[in-house]
Amino acid sequence: MLAPYLPILLLFALATGFAVFSVGIAPFTGPRRYNKAKLDFYECGIEPTPQPMGPSRFPVKYYLTAMLFIVFDIEIIFLYPYAVANKALGLFGLVEIILFVATVFVAYAYVWRRGGLDWD
Amino acid sequence: MHEVLLAAGPLRHGTVPLGEAIAFWVLGPIALAGAIGMVLLRNAVHSALSLVATMGCLGAFYLIQQGPFLGLVQIIVYTGAIMILFLFVLMIVGRDASDSLVETLRGQRWAAALLGVGFALLVAIGIGRAVSPVTPTDLNSPNAGGNNVHSIAALLFTRYLFAFELTSALLIVAAVGAMVLAHVEREGPRPSQKRLARERIRSGRPQPLPGPGVLSQHNAIGTPALLPDGSVARESVMVGSMESQEERQALPTPSAGEGGFE
Amino acid sequence: MTHLLLAAGNTAVSTPSVSYHALAPIFIVLGAAMLGVLVEAAVPRAERFTVQLMVTIVGLVAALVVVGLLHGTRTTTPSPTGNDAFFAGSLSIDGVGLFLQGTVLALALVAALLVSERSVDVGSPIVASAAVVVGSADDRRLTTADRVQTEVFPLMLFAVSGMLIFPIANNLILMFVALEVLSLPLYLMAGLARRRRLLSQEASLKYFLLGAFASAFFLYGLALLYGYADTVDLPGIFTAQQTSGKSDVLLYTGLALLLVGLLFKASVAPFHNWTVDVYVGAPTPVTAFMASCTKVAAFGAILRVLFVGFSSAEWNWRPVIWAVAIASMVVGAVLGLTQTDIKRILAYSSIAHAGFILVGMVAITKQSTASVMFYVLTYGFTTLAAFGMLMLVRDPDGEATQLARWSGLARKSPVVATVMTVLLLSMAGIPLTSGFTGKFYVFRAAWDTAGPLVVIALLSSAVAAFFYLRIVVMMFFAEPPVDSPTIAIPGWAASVALTVGVVVTIVLGVFPQPVIDLASKASYFTG
Repeated sequence: MLAPYLPILLLFALATGFAVFSVGIAPFTGPRRYNKAKLDFYECGIEPTPQPMGPSRFPVKYYLTAMLFIVFDIEIIFLYPYAVANKALGLFGLVEIILFVATVFVAYAYVWRRGGLDWD
Repeated sequence: MHEVLLAAGPLRHGTVPLGEAIAFWVLGPIALAGAIGMVLLRNAVHSALSLVATMGCLGAFYLIQQGPFLGLVQIIVYTGAIMILFLFVLMIVGRDASDSLVETLRGQRWAAALLGVGFALLVAIGIGRAVSPVTPTDLNSPNAGGNNVHSIAALLFTRYLFAFELTSALLIVAAVGAMVLAHVEREGPRPSQKRLARERIRSGRPQPLPGPGVLSQHNAIGTPALLPDGSVARESVMVGSMESQEERQALPTPSAGEGGFE
Repeated sequence: MTHLLLAAGNTAVSTPSVSYHALAPIFIVLGAAMLGVLVEAAVPRAERFTVQLMVTIVGLVAALVVVGLLHGTRTTTPSPTGNDAFFAGSLSIDGVGLFLQGTVLALALVAALLVSERSVDVGSPIVASAAVVVGSADDRRLTTADRVQTEVFPLMLFAVSGMLIFPIANNLILMFVALEVLSLPLYLMAGLARRRRLLSQEASLKYFLLGAFASAFFLYGLALLYGYADTVDLPGIFTAQQTSGKSDVLLYTGLALLLVGLLFKASVAPFHNWTVDVYVGAPTPVTAFMASCTKVAAFGAILRVLFVGFSSAEWNWRPVIWAVAIASMVVGAVLGLTQTDIKRILAYSSIAHAGFILVGMVAITKQSTASVMFYVLTYGFTTLAAFGMLMLVRDPDGEATQLARWSGLARKSPVVATVMTVLLLSMAGIPLTSGFTGKFYVFRAAWDTAGPLVVIALLSSAVAAFFYLRIVVMMFFAEPPVDSPTIAIPGWAASVALTVGVVVTIVLGVFPQPVIDLASKASYFTG
């Protein structure tokens, strides 16, 4: 019963092994010259995004984007069973899923028109 | 060989296939430790990470218990949900805020812990006794021929039709709520590209601000850069996150010793 | 792996038959709510308020009319067709359900009028923009601006649609989704007050966190009941109690946890902790909406769960109902005595009233069902109007809810003082008000099976009467404060709402028989 997951498990094991190996071998092969900068946060070379200097916090617009992501994420989850079983569900299923998608589309129209998708 | 190991015989009362047992006893403690860690860890980010571990393990449990769709949905949705959680943590707590948990009602933490443990024991013992004579069942018939998702769809569109459709109302409310609480509308029209460019040229500083001090000792953007003449470029640090001019003035200044680009 | 998730089933699913006409009230309200969201998207800000108000009123009135047309319906839907496996309909449209739906819609209509009141405060009691940081320059500017966060109307309609489904849900999963549909907008609406915004936002957060916790209890109970009965349909759970060979521990633990979630929504002690802070922090018209409509829906759901799903386990849950009813009445009455803020007093009074309503549920009879239905109706209108009255007595920085500020109010405005007195007397259960008739029928229905409980209820209503009468005495016989609060003149919307509330309170006190007859006639379940 777990057999179908074996490739995934193998991939996990491979990835873990690779990560452990490369991190583990680095201290022995690389030069060691530490300073403060090397222990600092690293974000792909750009400056760390809105650095909370003192008491400031992350802007709330990140929350909006994340919340909208979840809303449409969950919508897609419901589309999946329909897509798999659409033949068996027939016209009735089509009507119901269109109803569902159209309803969530109302939320999309609202967010879009009110500028929730603009990043500025 | 794995066929034999992972699916050793039909499900009988009191026996669990070996593969399932191994997975359970490996993942179960991790899930539990994650849950306990989420509550006990002081650092909010570590706390959120523990929850990720727990959720991942739960997803794996669903997979083991013949619910592949549910297991994957758990992982997919919680990727997003955990993201929200992190944002909450970072927004509400800030990176270095020390938590100030002042007890307004004295002794409430102890009382809550006592009652919580009592409740957990009550439920655990009750359920333990209640389900021990029950014969476990499997999902072989709804899952037969890879019908797992199909069976879910059949239920979703018949018996739970209305609950399913109603979920969309829930999603609308969630989106509207996020907008109401977190989106400040722009007043007036959006500035055009032309206007922005014109303003920039007229501001007296058309070029971008200098980058922060990326020094060998320090690359945090709290450190201002040095200009070619050796003077400190105060405008090189982010203004947006700083409350006032005083805070900018109070920034650490690179000294001659650590200032060089080695 | 792929064949696990992608195999396309070929067995056709026979489509269930849905009786759409019986669900029309729900569809109308949901449709109006979605229309409201589209209005937010499409209509310019200046016209939004008017359009939203029209959509809300028309939607609620239309749904109310349809509920009236549906009277006498007995149906469950959706039902299986063809060779499908048997399943009970997840919604049962019956007398109790329709009566409670009608009550929710009527109360929501009045509450919507209170929400739309724009004369007593600059703009509205609803905040101009909830996302603006409290105390910022924008916030100070918007406090006196005419702008309103008009999303409150669609949110309210969504909450109402949840409340329409909650008492007719015959299936626990649907009941859970309905619970969330009614709760989520309420969490948001609690945070929309124009004045004292931080308190309002704190109320919203508290309500959300505790509400999520209560939902978790409900879900846990649902899972255990599924383990016991192999179904989440209430009739199925009822049948399983006769046939299931499984341990009763699952059944009773499941029911207990389920009840925690439901009693939380109905703000019954000991699950009442959120009530007072949330009622005080929320905008007053929203508080009125929560105190009336949520209670109707929550007690409707409790009624259905206990009377349909667990009627044969009556002997097991009756002591629990006794205990929480007594706790609720005592907590409400005793803590209400110590308060110095009228909004808090009314909040504690709503906890006490939740206890009185539960008294009507100790016996499973047609009479007790009808008495509970009648009580939530009378209490809903009275509490709506009482919270509405709080909007009228104002200080420069908002409503003057301190008890001391109300002293001597009768000299300044005899009308306000008199109306408030009628409402308070009704809450105290003085004869010739709806509060008396409601209590009378509930206590009479419970007398045969639970005499001592009725005695306790009478005692605690005597204690509670003291703090209602204290307000009355203060209004009429105390000296007014030096800088006495101003009395705002309500606009048409609030005037209509308050008039309806007071008229219903008096009429149902003097001439309750037609509504009682209606409730008795409607006190049947299908499922």
